[in-house]
Amino acid sequence: MLDQLGNGLLLGIIISVASVALSLLYGVTRIVNFAHGEIIALGAIATLFFSSPLDYRVLFLEKFSPLGLNFVISCFLAILVCGLFGGLLEVFLFRPLRKNDVGNIAVLVVTIGLSILVRHLYLLFATGKVQNFPLELQRRQTYLFFDMTPRNFNVLIAGIIVMIIVGLLLTYTRLGKAMRAVRDSEELSSVSGINSDNIILLTWVASSMLAGLAGIFQATINDVRWNMGFLILLLIFAGTVLGGIGTSFGAMVGGFMIGILVQVSVGLPFMEGHAEAKNAVALGIMILILLFRPQGIFGQKERIS
Amino acid sequence: MLNNLISVKNLKKSFGGIKAVDVQELSFIEGELTSIIGPNGAGKTTFFDLISGFQNADSGDVFLKANNISNSQPYKIARMGMVRTFQLTKVFDRMTVMENLLFSGSNVNNDSFLRSIFKLNSQKVYEKSLKDKANEIMNNLNIGHMADSYARELSGGQKKLLELARAIINDPEILLLDEPLAGVNPKLAEDILSLIKKLSEDGITVIMVEHNIEAVMKISERIVVLAEGSLIADGSPSEIRTNNNVIEAYLGKSDE
Amino acid sequence: MITKRFSLQYIFAFSLTIFSIYLVFFLNPEGAPRIVLNLFTFAGIYGLSAIGLNVHFGWTGLLNFGHASFMGVGAYVTLLLMPHAAGREGVVITTGLPFFAALTIGIIAASLFGLLLGLPAIRLRGDYLAIVTIAAAEIFRLLVRDLESITGGVYGIINYTENFQRYRPSFIDDLSDNLDFSASQGWVCIAAWISILFIVLFLKRLNNSPWGRALRAVREDEDAVRAMGKNAVWLKLQSFMLGAGIAGLSGVLLAFNYGSLESTVFIPLLTFYVWAIMILGGVGTITGPIFGSIIFWVIISETDRLAYILFENANGQQLAGVRFLLVGVLIMFLMIFRPNGLLGKKEELLLDVK
Repeated sequence: MLDQLGNGLLLGIIISVASVALSLLYGVTRIVNFAHGEIIALGAIATLFFSSPLDYRVLFLEKFSPLGLNFVISCFLAILVCGLFGGLLEVFLFRPLRKNDVGNIAVLVVTIGLSILVRHLYLLFATGKVQNFPLELQRRQTYLFFDMTPRNFNVLIAGIIVMIIVGLLLTYTRLGKAMRAVRDSEELSSVSGINSDNIILLTWVASSMLAGLAGIFQATINDVRWNMGFLILLLIFAGTVLGGIGTSFGAMVGGFMIGILVQVSVGLPFMEGHAEAKNAVALGIMILILLFRPQGIFGQKERIS
Repeated sequence: MLNNLISVKNLKKSFGGIKAVDVQELSFIEGELTSIIGPNGAGKTTFFDLISGFQNADSGDVFLKANNISNSQPYKIARMGMVRTFQLTKVFDRMTVMENLLFSGSNVNNDSFLRSIFKLNSQKVYEKSLKDKANEIMNNLNIGHMADSYARELSGGQKKLLELARAIINDPEILLLDEPLAGVNPKLAEDILSLIKKLSEDGITVIMVEHNIEAVMKISERIVVLAEGSLIADGSPSEIRTNNNVIEAYLGKSDE
Repeated sequence: MITKRFSLQYIFAFSLTIFSIYLVFFLNPEGAPRIVLNLFTFAGIYGLSAIGLNVHFGWTGLLNFGHASFMGVGAYVTLLLMPHAAGREGVVITTGLPFFAALTIGIIAASLFGLLLGLPAIRLRGDYLAIVTIAAAEIFRLLVRDLESITGGVYGIINYTENFQRYRPSFIDDLSDNLDFSASQGWVCIAAWISILFIVLFLKRLNNSPWGRALRAVREDEDAVRAMGKNAVWLKLQSFMLGAGIAGLSGVLLAFNYGSLESTVFIPLLTFYVWAIMILGGVGTITGPIFGSIIFWVIISETDRLAYILFENANGQQLAGVRFLLVGVLIMFLMIFRPNGLLGKKEELLLDVK
């Protein structure tokens, strides 16, 4: 079971970062974003495009040459691309919907359509092949009581640092406070002089950048696939729900718990020979949590009246 | 002899440490028209939610006649003859006014899946009588001409009327009205008040939460005052008018 | 006035459907009967499923994104109860129930699964229910894939079609010889459309009944339903069971159309297909999904042409990519510009569901 802990932590950091992003967006806009996974994949695919060697032509219809940039610079560029993508989505799609008073459920269905559309654009333009970042292979080492490669260990540390920064930003900056104000009441905050349109735009950008980062993590630890985001989307939902949807801190912890649960469940006695079904365990736990504590572990019970 | 129809004992409810309702003992007497008043946030709506089963109390008991209904489902309480309305009007928007009333008036057997498949003659007869009753109520409330409109096309005041019509179609024993006059123009408010008065005279026990003190003073037989979740006064309108606790509660709030 | 515009909608939907079928004939001068039969078979099966989904979402307001699992339960239970072969080794099981007995149990099983999945709906509102249902459907699929010894997992179930095809009337065979289409698919197609006919008549009856009225009230406002002394939870569970049963039937037909059944059939995309059909036809309508389904499948079956225009020598991946991409565009477009679909009433639009 212990040998799975390292894998669990790595999956945990991916889901955790992605869950914070999803939860942030839900908190401010009340949108359950089914296209979240596609933004995650964009982070990975864009990084691949920026960083792959010039002669590497598997990608993009085999017509366009990758840019062959430094890997770290590629990551930053990819995150910017994701932020831009999220911003464009808000300005050209979700803001008009909001201005026309389109209901939450309709918007949810729109995000499903968007998810299918974008995912298959990846399939067409980035091909269905499983690909890897241009990084050399590394040997696993032992850290404390778990094994992982040095690179993955760095990913883990980087993820934790990013989440601490996000947590601090949300708690202490004007922007973070404004986001929480919009979350509590859009009407109220617009009366008190906060421009909720700008806040929502910034939320989309921030959420998408975090999602892109999660995608880069996922691709570094595993690989790049056109449907990589959709494959872990339900786990992200599970992480978000487990911690309490709309609470960033809850999403961080919930995401980690789901990641560890999924990987550790492989080692459970009754799961022997059923490793393929490991996601089912996490999803089942999510449903149980929702049944008995719909507000999640860290969520506040909403006052009904 | 006076009958305690509803009685409440040690009823407590708080949200995140903030006390919403804390009532030691309170009873409502059969046939009496009682109003619950109090400053904003006094816990009036929460109190309604607790006795109608829409929220569960942290502790304490609610009795309807001899039955303890503290943890009963709202629909079961409604079937016992206690029907409520809501502060924010809840009509079935995308159903016609007639359908709103037919649904509310129809009994559980009539709604059943199997009966709805077989559509026996008895169901048709029942629906016909229900329709007549709905028409009668709508005409009494001056919304008869809107019978085939979607409920969401009604004005705010008409929605209040529809909600009231829905509440009385089943001949309840007890009516809990949550701000029946909120957002209603003065003319209509007059009509609704006289309707409430008439319902009370017909023997229905009416308990209402209302902010319009003028109206409350005019028609109530008894007034209960809540502040910060607790009972601070209980008596006839004239007693309440001169009660120091009440004056303090209201004035104290305006000082803030 | 409402009825007048409503019948205009019908005429429009009907004409569009006829036109799209004509288009298929026009675009496929050769082998048209085979193509059209294939199209109508899928349209019938998916339309039936969308009719079931409409009971959930259109009538009761339940945001069900696990519809594929209802189809799956119906299909798997029915097939496993009949003689079949399953798994990598193709283990043959010769004993089993006759088709109609197995079908009945399969539909009941799907209904019961609907009941089970509906239980979270007691406490959860809209978007949470969406997440729970899609997750439960994934659990179902993962379990089916994993329980390879029973369900055949990714290797699937085969050799079961004869259980159903033995009831095929002989005129279909005569017709298939003349028109060059598969007789067994013809029988599935007929079965699907007969099912639709019965289900539509059945639902029409229910829609105008006190029960249908009660479901719509639940969709509008659960609290008010409770305050009127009605058990909203039980009404929601009944709705879940009815819609799931219909989906179960369509799942069985889907299995017989394919001739072999693997767990991959019931991926979330299947649910999204059915959603697209329901929205296209008209949320809350009874016959809408029928028109929606035919037009949807005409679009799907002709997108390959588009793929061949975009990519020379398009491979299977590119064909699928273009097809699904269009499904995504269709869902977004409908939801934004025509959320009431072909037949939905604007007054009953579900846009402002909270």
